[in-house]
Amino acid sequence: MSTKSVEFLVRRTPELGMDGRPVQVPVLPDGMVPELHGEHMLINIGPQHPATHGVLRLVLELDGETVVKCTPHIGYLHSSFEKLGEYRTWNQVIPLTDRMDYLAPLIYNCAYAMAVEKLMGIEVTERCKVVRVICMELDRIFSHLLWVGTTAIDIGAFTVFLYTFQERERIYDLHEAFTGARITTSSTRIGGMMADLPSGWIEALRDFVDTLPKTLDETEALLTRNNLWVGRNKDIGVISGADALDWGLTGPNLRASGVAYDIRRDRPYYDYDSYDFDVVTGEQGDCYDRYLVRMEEMRQSLRILDQAIRRLPGGPINVGDPRLILPGKTDLMSDMESMIHHFKVVMEGVKAPADESWFSVESSKGELGMYVVSDGGSKPVRWRVRGPSFINLSALPKMVEGHLLSDVIAINASIDIVLGEIDR
Amino acid sequence: MAIGVRVVRAPEANTSYFRASLQGMALTFRHLVRPHKPVLQYPDVKPELAPRWRGTHRMAVHADGRPKCVACGLCPTICPSNCIRLVPGEDDQGNRYPVVYEIDEFRCIFCGMCQEVCPVEAIHVGQDYENAEFTRERFVYDLDRLMAQDHPVTALWDPEDPLGQ
Repeated sequence: MSTKSVEFLVRRTPELGMDGRPVQVPVLPDGMVPELHGEHMLINIGPQHPATHGVLRLVLELDGETVVKCTPHIGYLHSSFEKLGEYRTWNQVIPLTDRMDYLAPLIYNCAYAMAVEKLMGIEVTERCKVVRVICMELDRIFSHLLWVGTTAIDIGAFTVFLYTFQERERIYDLHEAFTGARITTSSTRIGGMMADLPSGWIEALRDFVDTLPKTLDETEALLTRNNLWVGRNKDIGVISGADALDWGLTGPNLRASGVAYDIRRDRPYYDYDSYDFDVVTGEQGDCYDRYLVRMEEMRQSLRILDQAIRRLPGGPINVGDPRLILPGKTDLMSDMESMIHHFKVVMEGVKAPADESWFSVESSKGELGMYVVSDGGSKPVRWRVRGPSFINLSALPKMVEGHLLSDVIAINASIDIVLGEIDR
Repeated sequence: MAIGVRVVRAPEANTSYFRASLQGMALTFRHLVRPHKPVLQYPDVKPELAPRWRGTHRMAVHADGRPKCVACGLCPTICPSNCIRLVPGEDDQGNRYPVVYEIDEFRCIFCGMCQEVCPVEAIHVGQDYENAEFTRERFVYDLDRLMAQDHPVTALWDPEDPLGQ
């Protein structure tokens, strides 16, 4: 430290007068200019913050109000789901899957069951396929409705949240009538579903499909052309299509950047290629396009639901293999052979051949991959989840760089993460 | 191809502060005069539960007051959260019965698999959710308490669709 700066520091100490107040405002020595661009400031958002959508901690390095660097810290919700799965039989893993993404539980139930069925070489029944398509599209709407509501709250529009949550409540009721739980559905089983659709469920779903567009219209009336909403979202968090691909973004975040990649179209499963719907893409790749893409995706999901309700075939929902599916209670109590199968399925668990399989579906947040490895026993040796939220979150530092502090909230909301799945 | 690509475009014009605010207020005012009252006055008004609602357990009993459970051991095997403790016993006629049957409702994740696998329809998840207690110990339900529950049980097996087990 030079003599000059020491002198400067000494002179900065204010001299106090008789009344205890500084009598002399310190002046800078000749030749020194005030240092306006000082040290960067570190601020901490989270882990307990309403705008981080869970327990995410963001450490932001700010230059003034501009973000220089953003470091997401995760792991506060770590539940070790993948490791727990290694100590559970194939069917016992299913309750773990819906607790990952509690905003779209049925998609995770279905994706896991599909991966195990692929491993075992099981073809599910036609009815089960359509029921699972209904489940997955319903939960895509379920997740997107929450996204619109909470993002609007983060940005400052409160009313949308109330309207979309009333619609979500109706999906909760549909979940409850079908699976018996509102969030922790645990609805699939290897080779089928926990139970068939209850009577009257399709009519309730039809009513929902017919009336949801009204709420979507109201949401768009409140937001789409509102200059406050446009100003907070447009040209914020822009990521180009090439960058989005490099960062591994999938789902609405990638499509908003103009890349028409949708697993339902590019690697169709469950006859998605025979449904009539559009892959929705944006142009700019900013927060506003992500909003537009999700709003339109809900309408496309309604189209798929409408077609699925019409084509829902009759017949059994579970495969007829007694090594996989528990017999009905009437058979169980009257037929000795059913009783033996029942005990064997429960005590030994469903067996899978020694192999591995990968299955990916288009979840509400992006490409959801399930990787299961079996050694021929009744438990997975390894169960790995390619979570879309985790990989989408990794692009957050890239998106927020150079934006203002308040835009971090908008961008973080716009990529639609769920921390249960990030931490797993 | 049935699956098309739709490009959504941001509106170039027609965005506004004033008109959007008025439109928004008109919309919320319409909701104000035509409310459909989604709020439930909970402790006074209870929500109507679906028949498949999975809640607090209940053990079915025979007419003479014995539990229906035959201590086969399927429910502790299938339980993904290991919350059922069962010690089987056998009476002098050779009938198996549970000496100890405890369910830790804290560990339970209410997946309903115990009811799904029960071969004698003894253990059930029920349509009850008001199970708060003051101590942790009270959450471990023993056999007497499970048999004393009187709430309706879950209809996981819908008689109207026999294949829906």
